[in-house]
Amino acid sequence: MNFFGILIGLSTLLIIGLGFVWVIRGERYFGYLWWPYLLGLGLALAAASLFLTNDAASALLGALGASLAWGATELEEQAVRAELGWFPFRAQKILPPGAGRIRKWRGPRL
Amino acid sequence: MELNLAGLSAALATFLGIWGGHVAVRKFEANLRDLRPALAICVLLGLGTWAAALLTDSMPVSAALGILGVTLLWDAFEFHRQEKRVQTGHAPANPHNPRHKRILARYPSATTLDLLNRDPLGRPVEAGEGPELDDEC
Repeated sequence: MNFFGILIGLSTLLIIGLGFVWVIRGERYFGYLWWPYLLGLGLALAAASLFLTNDAASALLGALGASLAWGATELEEQAVRAELGWFPFRAQKILPPGAGRIRKWRGPRL
Repeated sequence: MELNLAGLSAALATFLGIWGGHVAVRKFEANLRDLRPALAICVLLGLGTWAAALLTDSMPVSAALGILGVTLLWDAFEFHRQEKRVQTGHAPANPHNPRHKRILARYPSATTLDLLNRDPLGRPVEAGEGPELDDEC
């Protein structure tokens, strides 16, 4: 019996659960315009997982990278949820470099 | 140097599992008259995927199946959460679905409008401003 997958699956559930928290909090204080940076970081972590020799560390880094990339696609919708009053709204955001340019891009919504 | 595929496999399973579940739960919840068969199928598929994860010797395959299993089990719970979103108006009700028709009659907050279908404006908005908001951006 190989329990590796189920243990990784349960750990991934925790990583995804943390995603709910950081997407909500992150959007509130930093705004959705950070999404390209988070998408890039997520892809970089997934790529870095290829070079780890430990299977569990590699799988968890890959799952974390994918969860960051997914969260990046959720940020814009979360901004709308906060504006609708479904979550606390905060007008002052700590904007990322290049925010003006990113604002013109169509954010990913999957 | 040999590449370790466990991480890439886990990343693909995580992203595609969340994405597929996100789309499928919304689609099926909006169209099914009764959610119970869909819940049962998710639980059975999730447990079946977990059983397969136990039986394989490959670490990348086991990781992917373990993650897909957990997302399928979570999807069963998401059907319930999605129905709640329809009740509160956080997800649009489908007036052609008898179950949603009952929700529309019973919950004043339920709506057929997709209130999230707009761009962020950087200021609080009223739900009633709804469709007009699309033109502002």
